[in-house]
Amino acid sequence: MTDVVARRTLQEPATDQAIEDLHDALDQLWVDAGFVPAMDQMAFTTAVIEAASNVVQHGVPAEGAELNLGVELTVSSERLRAVISEIGAAALDPVPDLDGSAPSADADDDALLEDFDESGRGLSMIRALVTTVTVERQGDTNVWVLSRDSTGS
Amino acid sequence: MEFTTQDKGLYTEVSANGRLNMVAAPKLREVIAGVVDAGGKRIVVNLTDTTFMDSSGLGALIGCLKLARQSGGDLRIAAVQPQVNMVLELTSMHRVLTPHSTPEEAFRND
Repeated sequence: MTDVVARRTLQEPATDQAIEDLHDALDQLWVDAGFVPAMDQMAFTTAVIEAASNVVQHGVPAEGAELNLGVELTVSSERLRAVISEIGAAALDPVPDLDGSAPSADADDDALLEDFDESGRGLSMIRALVTTVTVERQGDTNVWVLSRDSTGS
Repeated sequence: MEFTTQDKGLYTEVSANGRLNMVAAPKLREVIAGVVDAGGKRIVVNLTDTTFMDSSGLGALIGCLKLARQSGGDLRIAAVQPQVNMVLELTSMHRVLTPHSTPEEAFRND
């Protein structure tokens, strides 16, 4: 286990404001972890916002529960890690396909435009931007873990 | 995110300042729909001050491109920053939303 050199956490109702606050938390994280190469910062930030936005836009609260977004961001010398918790959520049904292949790049431009699918695109972007992504159910929470190996050290 | 719209004669320029995320995406759709409703055919979205775009923001841009084309016009983007470019290339959408280096250049060869 490598030492964590920067960390930010956030937990609040899963609303638009949570996404703006998460952007600010990421900006602050990179102030503390400026040694992480710009490409890694960009890719990780994008994946984290995609995953959190997915919670805010598509998360379904369990009966009688309030849906909250929890995020823990950690930077160690060789790894960027985000634990994104969908707290008070119903179980994911269906469980997102995290192994699916990216849409074909061979499609012609018109097909590319017609077939654009935002939510599916978000998941395939996450897969492309991080080294590993997992999702599992823990109690009343769906937990997404995103990890990107950083080339910085 | 803040939007400003300017009539540049040959085209209408919409500048997007801030983060083009799931919060800003519906606002962009509204702003562009307003330009199209007002008869704007050539639209340039100036992304100089757009520091971030996610799949929601990209989806809004794609929707706006379709809207502009359906009304007989076109929408182009200019001055993209590195993160926005990364998202465009990752999704292959740079093929249908090709970034121009400046707003002035976007419709120059038409």
